[in-house]
Amino acid sequence: MDLNKYAALFLAESREHLTTCNRLLLDWEREPGSTEAVAGLFRAIHSLKGMAATMGYGRLADLAHRTEHLLDAVRAGRAPAGAGVVDLLLKAIDALERGVDEAAAGADGGFDPGDLPAALEAAAAAAAPTPAKGAVRKGKKAAEPPAPVSAAAPLPMPDFGEEAGRVVRVEIRPDAPLLGARAHLALRRAEQLGKVTGVMPPAANFDVQGFDGRFTFRLDAPVGESQIIAAIEAAGEIASVAVDADTVQTAEWRIPSAAVPAAAAPSARSGQIRVDRRRLDALMSQVGELVVARNRLLELAQLDPGGELEALGARISRLVSDLQAEIIEARMTPVWQVFDRFPRAVRDLARHLGKQIRFEMEGEGIELDRAILDELGDPLLHLLRNAVDHGLEPPDERQRHGKPPEGRLVLSAAREHSSVAIRIQDDGRGIDRRAILAKAKREGVVGPEVEILTDDLLLKVLGRPGFSTAERVSSVSGRGVGIDVVLTKVRAHGGAVEIASTPGQGTTFTLRLPLTLAILRVLTARVGTERYLLPLSYVAETVEFDVQPRTDVKGREAIVLRERVIPIVHLRALLGVDGGEVPPRRPGLVLEVGDRRSAVVVDSLMGQQEVVVEPFDAPKGTAPLFSGATILADGTPALILDAAALV
Amino acid sequence: MSHTVLVCDDAIFMRTMISDILTQAGFEVVGEAETGVQAVEKFRQLKPDLVTMDIVMPDMGGIDAVREICRESPDAKILMCSAMGQQALVVEAIQAGAKDFVVKPFQPSRVLEAVQRVLG
Repeated sequence: MDLNKYAALFLAESREHLTTCNRLLLDWEREPGSTEAVAGLFRAIHSLKGMAATMGYGRLADLAHRTEHLLDAVRAGRAPAGAGVVDLLLKAIDALERGVDEAAAGADGGFDPGDLPAALEAAAAAAAPTPAKGAVRKGKKAAEPPAPVSAAAPLPMPDFGEEAGRVVRVEIRPDAPLLGARAHLALRRAEQLGKVTGVMPPAANFDVQGFDGRFTFRLDAPVGESQIIAAIEAAGEIASVAVDADTVQTAEWRIPSAAVPAAAAPSARSGQIRVDRRRLDALMSQVGELVVARNRLLELAQLDPGGELEALGARISRLVSDLQAEIIEARMTPVWQVFDRFPRAVRDLARHLGKQIRFEMEGEGIELDRAILDELGDPLLHLLRNAVDHGLEPPDERQRHGKPPEGRLVLSAAREHSSVAIRIQDDGRGIDRRAILAKAKREGVVGPEVEILTDDLLLKVLGRPGFSTAERVSSVSGRGVGIDVVLTKVRAHGGAVEIASTPGQGTTFTLRLPLTLAILRVLTARVGTERYLLPLSYVAETVEFDVQPRTDVKGREAIVLRERVIPIVHLRALLGVDGGEVPPRRPGLVLEVGDRRSAVVVDSLMGQQEVVVEPFDAPKGTAPLFSGATILADGTPALILDAAALV
Repeated sequence: MSHTVLVCDDAIFMRTMISDILTQAGFEVVGEAETGVQAVEKFRQLKPDLVTMDIVMPDMGGIDAVREICRESPDAKILMCSAMGQQALVVEAIQAGAKDFVVKPFQPSRVLEAVQRVLG
């Protein structure tokens, strides 16, 4: 058997198991009575042992075996998770991680676990009760003693079996308004019956252009076919519902996208294979080209209304949209895959700094484009470190201020419109605006007339390369380096960063990110003789600017819309355009980024389209107003405006 | 006894129209709200069988109002009133707990169908 084929799989899956272990250990530490955590740990290490043995990584398998043995002893003896045992197990996990990497690099023979095996052995002996010979354990039958490691253990390959449930096909009446929203309603009705998986096209794409109201999903529910049909028809505007018998769809060739808890048994990953991300990137970029070609085709088709070209164009358009939706879905990855490593990092850091911190994570099932997610790890870790090091106070200081000694740090992800908001929220001391303002003045970042640092201004100051927020240099967060790096990373992906900080109450950073890169729905606007593009996801509405009542706020022109004052941005002035004709009635685009709004005045609107975003290296001296560029259907290049820079 | 309804919309025109459609079909419109905040307050006060909710309103939008109402009363029956082109917002409202939606301009038959589905 050619084991090389499995090496990548071994590496990926082992790492997953070890990440799970880290998380479970922390759970266990918090809740020493939890038997679930120990059981999960045991399962994960057991799987790792089997895989390592099969791959012939003897030393690694041996260390896993000893770790498993200790876990088994603890489990059987029901010994509480003493800090010593947890620390020892954390060390073992670290060593196993190292071992996995070395083994995968072909150096298992050189893997040296040091004195860990002996320490694990000793701890196992200490933790296990010494029952009299023949004594019967209470409750369930005695746990099997861990099997000796043998290279003949069966290869625990992922199971390509079927996912549970029946395939349901739904078609919304094509004349129903807001097909996508209706589809969501139907899906919710199904969710009330049981577990819904494998929605195709993915629900996130129900509202994209080209969704024709037909979708399928797998429903695992203990109800009859007629009940399923009745429930979905109750969502309204349903043309047809069909429930397939318990058939198995052909294996779905996609990477895991469902929010499978990391601790889930391997069967939860059934029907899935791992795909190198570069392949998906290549597919995505080809589909991007296809989208551009399709747009051109649709333009040509319009020259011959009612002709064969138009019909064919519409068909190709739908196929391309489907293809695009599939690939986007294949790239979507739940954020836990990145979040999972943070609890351990926060815990270690808190211990190191002598702080008590309760770290919570929310919305781990929210999905993002893998390419964005991969870039987020470091910025998020940086912000978390900052919070632990500078934001949250030591226990005694907290108590002096009447706060509980344990600080709270929350990392959450939530879907908001067509973007994802990731928040890092602490209940620490907040940012000292006066100190930062003084420093910013000294360094000439802000003028001497500035009296108050608003949240926006604060972010601008903190985001300057090299601006130090720390009073002192610490080994942990360094010189406060990094907010600028965070800003750059997030903006490079078409996202935005917000900050809110209240003295004594804490600081919240919000990172807003698009669901996916590469393809963007935009509004095309004309300013002078040029066309500019605005991401549709930030356009709240369009108004007729020249008929809106206007007012004046702190010297800035603004419009009043439903009793809300919205500052005006004249793109002509901002971009320094003076050519072309200015129509008497111009549209204003109300942009909304988080809580902030602005009304961007352009000469005219030219419609919506999907474009492929190309990275954009602004020439030096260009105003920081653009987030990317693209080639339009007619072959001309156009710039994409950065919504966050305009509000 | 006829079903009670709370109608939430910042435009008097829309409130009147919705109230007319529902009253003629035998519903009892027990209250109106023109902001999200009012919607939440009146819901608490009146406990209506049905709420019709506009999306864009001043002083807390319809979606936040849905969220707030459903947090307190998860079984609240809320029908969103949306304009074309607000699909993403409607989806958000559904995720917040709205039970159905109708799209302006209203056709009485569609409104009543949706109301029946929500109450069904």
